[in-house]
Amino acid sequence: MKTQSQIQKMLGVLFAISLILTACATPAPTSAPATSAPAATVAPAATSAPAATAVPAGPKKGGKVTLAVWQSPVTLNGLLGTQTVMSVVLNLVTEGMTEVQPDGTRVAALAKEVPTVQNGGVSADGKTITYKLKEKLVFSDGKPVECEDFKYSWQAIMTPNVGIVSTTGYSSIETVDCPDPLTVVVKYKSFFAPYLTLFNGSDLIPRSAGDPKGMKDWAHNRKPVGAGAFIIEEWKTDEFIRLKRNDKYREAGKPYLDEVVVRIVPSSEVALQLVASGEVDIMWNNTEADIPQLEKMAGVKVSAPLQIGGERLFLNMAENKDPSDPKKPHAILSDVKVRQAIAYGINKQRIIEKLLNNKAKPGSSELNAGYFECKTIQAYPYDAAKAKSLLDEAGWKPGADGIRLKDGVKLRLKYSTTSGNKLREDSQVLVVEDMKAIGIDMFIENAPSSVVIGTWDGGSPRRHGNFDIIMYTTNAGIDPHSQMVNLWSSANIPSVDNKGGLNYTRFNNPKADDLLKQASGEPDPAKRRDMYCQLAQMTYDQANMIYLYQRSAIDSYRDRLLGFTSNAWSNTAYNAKEWSLK
Amino acid sequence: MGKYILRRLLQAIPLVILISMTVFLLMHLIPGGPLAAYESPGITAEDLERLKHELGLDVPIHIQYWNWLMAIVRGNWGTSIVSGRPVLTEISERIFNTLYLSIVAFIGSLLISIPLGVTSATRQYSKIDNIATTIAFFGQSIPIFWMGLILIIIFNVMIKNPNTGGPLLPGGGMSTIGSDFSFEDRLRHLILPASVLIFFNLGTHVRYTRSGMLDVLHQDYIRTARAKGLNKRTVILKHALRNSLLPLITIIGLELPGLFNGALITETIFSWPGMGRLFFNSIDRADYSVMMGVLLMNAIMIVLSGLLTDIVYGFLNPRIRFD
Repeated sequence: MKTQSQIQKMLGVLFAISLILTACATPAPTSAPATSAPAATVAPAATSAPAATAVPAGPKKGGKVTLAVWQSPVTLNGLLGTQTVMSVVLNLVTEGMTEVQPDGTRVAALAKEVPTVQNGGVSADGKTITYKLKEKLVFSDGKPVECEDFKYSWQAIMTPNVGIVSTTGYSSIETVDCPDPLTVVVKYKSFFAPYLTLFNGSDLIPRSAGDPKGMKDWAHNRKPVGAGAFIIEEWKTDEFIRLKRNDKYREAGKPYLDEVVVRIVPSSEVALQLVASGEVDIMWNNTEADIPQLEKMAGVKVSAPLQIGGERLFLNMAENKDPSDPKKPHAILSDVKVRQAIAYGINKQRIIEKLLNNKAKPGSSELNAGYFECKTIQAYPYDAAKAKSLLDEAGWKPGADGIRLKDGVKLRLKYSTTSGNKLREDSQVLVVEDMKAIGIDMFIENAPSSVVIGTWDGGSPRRHGNFDIIMYTTNAGIDPHSQMVNLWSSANIPSVDNKGGLNYTRFNNPKADDLLKQASGEPDPAKRRDMYCQLAQMTYDQANMIYLYQRSAIDSYRDRLLGFTSNAWSNTAYNAKEWSLK
Repeated sequence: MGKYILRRLLQAIPLVILISMTVFLLMHLIPGGPLAAYESPGITAEDLERLKHELGLDVPIHIQYWNWLMAIVRGNWGTSIVSGRPVLTEISERIFNTLYLSIVAFIGSLLISIPLGVTSATRQYSKIDNIATTIAFFGQSIPIFWMGLILIIIFNVMIKNPNTGGPLLPGGGMSTIGSDFSFEDRLRHLILPASVLIFFNLGTHVRYTRSGMLDVLHQDYIRTARAKGLNKRTVILKHALRNSLLPLITIIGLELPGLFNGALITETIFSWPGMGRLFFNSIDRADYSVMMGVLLMNAIMIVLSGLLTDIVYGFLNPRIRFD
């Protein structure tokens, strides 16, 4: 029989061995890349600008680049999918009328120029948009790119019962006319403000794709044909997508590379190691936490343009105990002074320093990047004293335990976000601390994201309005119109009759509704920008939405790859035609 | 015997139906549903309602289940809600990748652990026994995730191939992308993930072989055999081994369906396109039809391997009768 002491002895030995093993092995991830390179200390984390990556002598031709993505696309039909990774792959394959540059400006791709009121591309009422196509354009299969393809794409998007994800914008089109093969005339039923966002990238489907009614079974879904720089050669599900150069690409000599491999590496810890070893050239979608490790790797660069939008707190201004009347004011949060006090009381910089490696910006407004940026709005500064005096003014006086009271009611608010997201949960802790310091008692009650951001019928609190504060990330696209309408239009306050409404703070302001109405009919983007900016200022003053931080779209890549830049508007690989190898 | 098998198979039918019904219900209790993936600021309420209808999610759950069951009876496993491809295609693309890895790891583990477990038991408390049990203990306790990552750091990042200057072993995938089939290339890709799985399986297999053997070695008939003057080797291999394997067979029977499920963590670490990731992703995306397909296959495998285990018992121990 095994004696007690023997077992103890063995356990002791095991424990010792495991200690030694952990001691030997744990530092390996960080020390390995650093020691393998002599010049480790100078590896720069360059936020690269397009100009910096241009190569004077003419880029070298040929070669293969491997791009690691953590998720596998489920479909490559851009009309049927929602994944970001799908857009990354389709960036390599497709091109449409126009595309967005990293600075948020729009340039022509297949169109000769971006239509504007000035160049006659946009009619005075904004309802007719005329595009001129470049000459002799072909898809990668050699078939010409003509007006009929755009018309067909619109019809395909409007096909019922095939699972098209979004018909936004396209459903406002009355007709697409083709006076000649190179002229596309789009007539809208009513003015659609973000008209430039249509007919781009993967929305252009060649008419050879097949009958739209049978879209679910199209060969196109696995092997899309586009006018982009690369062609899908082979797709092994969950493993890789191999693309080769499109010899018929519209810009002569481009792309420079012969091959791009999109490799699915589901574990980001592993992908980091593969960038270190050089087995992959690009890692898509890094987090701020990766940056210290990446900076230590020799021969690895980081590209991190700021993204629009970001993490924010939705403050529910409507009664949350009885949500039957969605416009009835909230007992605590309906007071603008309380909301502003919360905004002043949160130390955003501390969150960014502690949780995001100092690689994010304090959140300011909905319009914090790109063409529509509202530059006059600065983030609420951290000012606890001001927060306290605002609460005093609002009649909330500190109680015995430091938590403020008014008419015997405690200043106590429920603070929810999606559970299981460490960054969110950690930032909640910091916010709760900050709030406690100014006398607000916030208590955390989180739920899975599918519950928090779920549907009306699924009982989502965000929709029903039975919440105080909910926190998550959302963002406007390159054209913020739909985001502005969704968030600030009183017609979008969710209710039984409007289950899909997205105005979760229950912002209800006739002036805002007016501005939105005006913007919806304004064909000049510059004027629209002013209106949105006024609107953003209004919600900033109301502090019904408190923006925590604005993050970057971070990618890392080996320095043997030239011409790589990330584009927060259009995902990685938007400019793959410019990539080349050293 | 044939009658027994037939009876067991017939009994399995209501069982599988019951399992599928429970699973179908549980699945729909998961909050969110397939439409959650489509929810983004850009999508309108009308689009969501339209998608709900187009994906067949607006019919009552019992009718959804009935439709699913009737389709299965006709051999139609349905199509993925997310990718729109047939569930059987989704499964068949991965099942061989999974079996390839899991069978190699399974056989590899048995080839090591049976001799190791037997030696360990016959020389109880010897040095080799201590080493074997320690290895088994480690295999069970070290997180696969951690071990896989460490192996990649050692063999991909730190150690270079002296001939090419590139990494010594690939850090994942089944073969070099874009190259023609090569046995050596396949093998190089198999080494790390298979080692991790073998190491993990060793834990269980060594312990069960060892304890099974120890049990048997203390039986009277072993003493009798030794007393007859048979040499130790014959006693162990002829008399003891077959009986000692019963507990291991039970465990193997329980593990068999797992061979088809894939190993999620190993697949994730080594970018292996297998069933584990398919199932995980289908849950993540609330892709009901793929989830149901995988679970149905799983239920069938469990029933079949239970039956297989019972039959093998009979061969190993003739006292077990089928009637």
